[in-house]
Amino acid sequence: MSDKNNKIPFNEDNYTHNINRNNERKLDRRGFMKTLVGAAGVFAVSSLPWGVMAAKELNRLGDKKYPKHKIADLDKVPVGDAVDFHFPGEHDSAILIRLSEKKFVAYQNACTHLRCPVFWQKDEGEMLCPCHHGKFDVETGAPIAGPPRRPLPEIHVKVENGAVYAVGVKRYEA
Amino acid sequence: MKRSYIPVGLLLVVLMLNIIFTQYMVHQYFYENYTNTIIAAVVNVLLFPVAFIIYKKGVNVND
Repeated sequence: MSDKNNKIPFNEDNYTHNINRNNERKLDRRGFMKTLVGAAGVFAVSSLPWGVMAAKELNRLGDKKYPKHKIADLDKVPVGDAVDFHFPGEHDSAILIRLSEKKFVAYQNACTHLRCPVFWQKDEGEMLCPCHHGKFDVETGAPIAGPPRRPLPEIHVKVENGAVYAVGVKRYEA
Repeated sequence: MKRSYIPVGLLLVVLMLNIIFTQYMVHQYFYENYTNTIIAAVVNVLLFPVAFIIYKKGVNVND
């Protein structure tokens, strides 16, 4: 009877006798400063990819080069008419519109809403997506009505030796 | 051993600058001002050694 532990409860303010906590949860001044330095490090590291991406953009590595592509002969496109073509790949359908004697515009004609093909409406002077009646401004490709919110990607065109060529494409705005 | 809370305050300032420049960097990237993006990123990177120096000085002298 005498060697029975009769000192229960122990006279100490510690329910886990085999763990020495040793102030490990205390956040002192030094620990706080360490945390702040660590946060500065995280900020520094996380800004690296942004700098790299920006540098890439500045070096025009983001702008792909495409070989120039003949769209149509000048005399085959009357003023006010449109021609469908494919640029830069054979599955990227696009539309060329002759606005005046000298002025051509071209856009990739997948609607920026749900990628339906966009048609040129000569009478109204607008580009229309028939799926949900999205309309685009023919001069800029900017959306002017309906669900699309982003402009059509513009294709740069050049007139050379009596023919129209596609030479480049603007980036698709996300 | 008199503690100084000046380094702590300086580090908080550094953290605030980090936040400001990070947001500026992201916004300038989406506005396609890539030069400003790079400047903000460089400032952000430089703020880390600054923070480290402040920490070193603060710890050695005052603790």
